[in-house]
Amino acid sequence: MPLLDSFDVVVIGGGHAGAEAARVAARGGARVALVTMIRDAIGRMSCNPAIGGLAKGHLVKEIDALGGLMGEATDAAGIQFKVLNRSKGPAVQGPRAQCDRDLYAAAVQRILAAEPNLTIIETTVSRIAYEGNRVSAVILGDGARIDTTAVIVTTGTFLRALMHSGEAKVVGGRFGEPSSDGLSDSLRAAGLSLGRLKTGTPPRVLASSVDYSRLDLAPGDAVPRPFSILTDTIALPQVSCWTTYTGAEAHDVIRRNLDRAPMFSGQIKATGPRYCPSIEDKVVRFADKERHLVFVEPEGLEHPWLYLNGVSTSLPADVQDAVVRSMPGFERASIARYGYAVEYDFVNPQQLTPSLEARSVEGLFLAGQINGTSGYEEAAAQGLLAGINALQLVRGREPVILPRDLAYAGVMIDDLVTLGTEEPYRMFTSRAEYRLLLGCDSVYERLTSMADALGIVDEERLRRVTSRLQRTAAAREAIEGAELRPDRETLAWLLPLGVSIAGPTTVAGLLARPELDADALFRHCGTTGQLAHLAEIRGRLADEELEGVVNRARYSGYIEKQEREARNLRDDDSLKIPPGFHFERPGLSTEVIEKLKRVQPASLGQAARIPGMTPAAVAVLRINLRYELRSASGAGRGA
Amino acid sequence: MSGNAGRDTIVAPATAPGRSAIAVVRIDGPDAISIVEALAGRELETRRATHTSLRDGNEAIDDAVVVVYRAPSSYTGNDLVEVSLHGSSYLVGKLIDVVRRSGARIAEPGEFTERAVLNGKLDLVQAESVADLVDARAAMQSRLSLRNLSGELSRASESMRATLLDLVSRFEAALDFADEGYEFVGRAEARSLLESLLGEVRETAATWSRGHAIQAGLTAVILGLPNAGKSTLLNFLCGTERAIVTPVAGTTRDLLRETVDLGGVPVTFVDTAGLRASGDAIEEIGVGRAREVARTADLVLYLIDSSQGVTDEDRAELGQLRDPIVVFTKSDLAEGGEGAISVLAGRGTKELLARLDAEVNERYAMAEESPTVVNQRQRGAFDACAEALEGALAALRSEASEEFVAADLRRAASALGALTGAISSDDIYREIFGRFCIGK
Ligand SMILES: Cc1cc2nc3c(=O)[nH]c(=O)nc-3n(C[C@H](O)[C@H](O)[C@H](O)COP(=O)(O)OP(=O)(O)OC[C@H]3O[C@@H](n4cnc5c(N)ncnc54)[C@H](O)[C@@H]3O)c2cc1C
Repeated sequence: MPLLDSFDVVVIGGGHAGAEAARVAARGGARVALVTMIRDAIGRMSCNPAIGGLAKGHLVKEIDALGGLMGEATDAAGIQFKVLNRSKGPAVQGPRAQCDRDLYAAAVQRILAAEPNLTIIETTVSRIAYEGNRVSAVILGDGARIDTTAVIVTTGTFLRALMHSGEAKVVGGRFGEPSSDGLSDSLRAAGLSLGRLKTGTPPRVLASSVDYSRLDLAPGDAVPRPFSILTDTIALPQVSCWTTYTGAEAHDVIRRNLDRAPMFSGQIKATGPRYCPSIEDKVVRFADKERHLVFVEPEGLEHPWLYLNGVSTSLPADVQDAVVRSMPGFERASIARYGYAVEYDFVNPQQLTPSLEARSVEGLFLAGQINGTSGYEEAAAQGLLAGINALQLVRGREPVILPRDLAYAGVMIDDLVTLGTEEPYRMFTSRAEYRLLLGCDSVYERLTSMADALGIVDEERLRRVTSRLQRTAAAREAIEGAELRPDRETLAWLLPLGVSIAGPTTVAGLLARPELDADALFRHCGTTGQLAHLAEIRGRLADEELEGVVNRARYSGYIEKQEREARNLRDDDSLKIPPGFHFERPGLSTEVIEKLKRVQPASLGQAARIPGMTPAAVAVLRINLRYELRSASGAGRGA
Repeated sequence: MSGNAGRDTIVAPATAPGRSAIAVVRIDGPDAISIVEALAGRELETRRATHTSLRDGNEAIDDAVVVVYRAPSSYTGNDLVEVSLHGSSYLVGKLIDVVRRSGARIAEPGEFTERAVLNGKLDLVQAESVADLVDARAAMQSRLSLRNLSGELSRASESMRATLLDLVSRFEAALDFADEGYEFVGRAEARSLLESLLGEVRETAATWSRGHAIQAGLTAVILGLPNAGKSTLLNFLCGTERAIVTPVAGTTRDLLRETVDLGGVPVTFVDTAGLRASGDAIEEIGVGRAREVARTADLVLYLIDSSQGVTDEDRAELGQLRDPIVVFTKSDLAEGGEGAISVLAGRGTKELLARLDAEVNERYAMAEESPTVVNQRQRGAFDACAEALEGALAALRSEASEEFVAADLRRAASALGALTGAISSDDIYREIFGRFCIGK
């Protein structure tokens, strides 16, 4: 096989995982090749062109704080921004943006093109070559070879992919794109076992064929809030979305044609996601629900299609026509592309280490939908971490594992490698036990300095983060230092704000009261000499930064409680299980030993999270680990 | 000072629960000595068995023997205190409770051994055999809780788990699927659900003290006409010369108490003044007290002197008593019929004990069958659950957003998890997706 070139890291697949992985490894100084089937498809959105939402939006913010590209690309392509859960507390508000799909892919491609250490190669990888239990090269479709130290597989839904639309089956990973079959064998050769999952997509409708007067308007936020700290303002014009619904007529049609739905006829056997049910699923499982809400979302500023969020389906075309035309506003609609389901190979991530490397082969990393996840953000966050860890491997440094109380990305990866996936995994805020510590307003505090130490944060981002942290720290200090006493003068001054104080407190203490409007308080501070500096400090903060400062003051009780709880978790997580550790220990049942051997947990904390572990088993493991640690460190006996 | 393994203070019983003469409670960690010294109200010498009374504020816990070991010369290598109490699970529970309130927590299975290993007091080979033990004990514990969970408590816990799962998943759904157009959880409804759940949890936690109150507090009063042999019987029961026995009627003027283990249950026998109308003012008071105790006692033994037979006075007294256990005494002096005893001749006493044993079991077997929390760990779980539920209720009342309510609900769920099985996020999603039509 002719040697084409050699790289430190080869990324296979230019989806959302691959783009982040390639970019971050290159930025950290590795020589990186991104090999993907179609160059123009880099950054393409297979499904709805929307980024973010609850928990997913958190992931995008984390990616931004860690130096990733998804936030930037979204800001460059966003045509409707909305912070979800505005009525809830700060930790569970999630930003979401509807994007222009072409502009999004273009933004990703632009960002990758600017990376000097990154080479993009347009072709198919047909297999991965190993030497012993290490990765050595990738072999391209034409037989050429690229030598490499690390391979990151981010091939999404493309492995042995099969698309279903009604009774019709077409081989392919995404409409109009081929399937990739050879890689499945390469993964098997690495000792990984593969499973099957499925996902689906709804029909797209010609925007010009819809009667908008019959739809309800679903507008975005008046002032769009960017995802990335690099973005000052959103430049694109902003649009609205709409809602409509399916009613009795649609449901009747679906019921009559159920035998033609691949999921019900038995044509598809793979598991689909519960949280993303097809319309036929909803009609069957919730038979007495008279209407199902459908979000109508533009695919771009000038794109001729609308995306029908809520009617994912793989029913035959004639049924899709009837269902769509029964919805208010869509009486004369014409479908531009029919919905379909896709079935694909995935690797149960229990076979990976927490750095997303295959346990059986050094240098083989997997990220994205191949690991049984679903969604762009989940893919991107894994891609970023896999890229970081491939970089660390190349540099001969320790892997980077984000703790569960530090980032949603850490929760996700720990869930994946500890629990595995039986249905496509999606991020939810409820998956994080310390959700209150993981709000969007604290990502830069939590993550950027760590990323900077890894050498993966660009100068401009670092400058902006540093100055943001200085501003918010100064504000925090100022409000905590601004004392208020219940003397006549102060009480009179507080009167217009509608609050009173009974004992000495600080401005931070006042801000903790939920009924008080923070902005009004800061403005009011400008009216008195001693506190005028607070009004000034407020002036220097962006709205999002102010929210961070106020939230910290307001919810400190809850935050501190969770911080205390999280500390216990950290103790167990920091007790590492050395590679090659023998799990056959007296006092552990065969069942427990079997579980431990399957997951090969990297720490006691991870071991404790394996379903079915008993407290006694954890105690036995802890004793053994600590004891060996002591013996290894030569601490000896008789402390 | 303390060894380096174990930053916090832990407590646990070191002897198996059940009938035994003494029960040992172990306290290990930096605060072990100060906590026990506070209960003893005095300083304690190292490595010396000190007899001292332990008090929780004004309330006496027990007369105990306490031994203090200082780091590093103890089983664990930390500061360690061993307290030997009278063998009653009630007393053990009470002591552990007080120690817990003073800042210690209940030890995890095997934790003392772990500390010993980490402080270099045991090597791993020794510890591995202990590990087997830990596992065996955990198995026993779960068998114990299984048995206990098989009846009422199991049903009660299942219903608590279901309510909690329902609440948690609805709050989680309200957070993660806020734009689905559902009202997953009404605040007023959530409040009433939570209040009733909290009530249930508290009630169940309270069965622990009820169960133990029965065990600790069974009183058996010994009644009878003067000189029916009451004090003799008491002396026999407790094997000491506690009551002064004389042939002179009316010797016992006040109440004498002695606690005896019957069927694994501590029973306090109360000897009383003989029931008769006398001119003696002090004796009258004694008789009054005897009648009063009889009203509240769990068991009433009515003694009749076989040589005197059943008198009219006996009949009058018996008519006023609830379920008396009638015992004919002094069968050495006259034929007393079936079940008659003579302490002096050592006749019928074993049978009497068996009979009392059976009575206690029959009347109070209920304590084992009803939903009763049997051990400290279970009790701790319910207490922690209740505390978290109170937090959730407070968050609801203060109109806090769902994630704060959910934070407390999750703590409640994980507290209860030890008993009813953990509520995993998959349980939550199954509940959400099973119940509501969501997802796009
Ligand atoms: C039909 C469909 C419906 C979906 N519906 C939803 C949904 O409803 N909700 C949701 O959250 N998510 C949905 N998704 C998922 C979302 O699109 C993916 O999770 C996300 O894009 C995964 O990113 P990735 O980087 O892992 O892979 P992808 O974005 O799929 O990218 C994989 C890339 O790898 C390339 N590639 C594959 N094999 C090779 C090879 N051998 N050599 C070179 N290049 C290769 C491909 O060309 C492609 O560019 C859907 C996906 C599909 C296909």
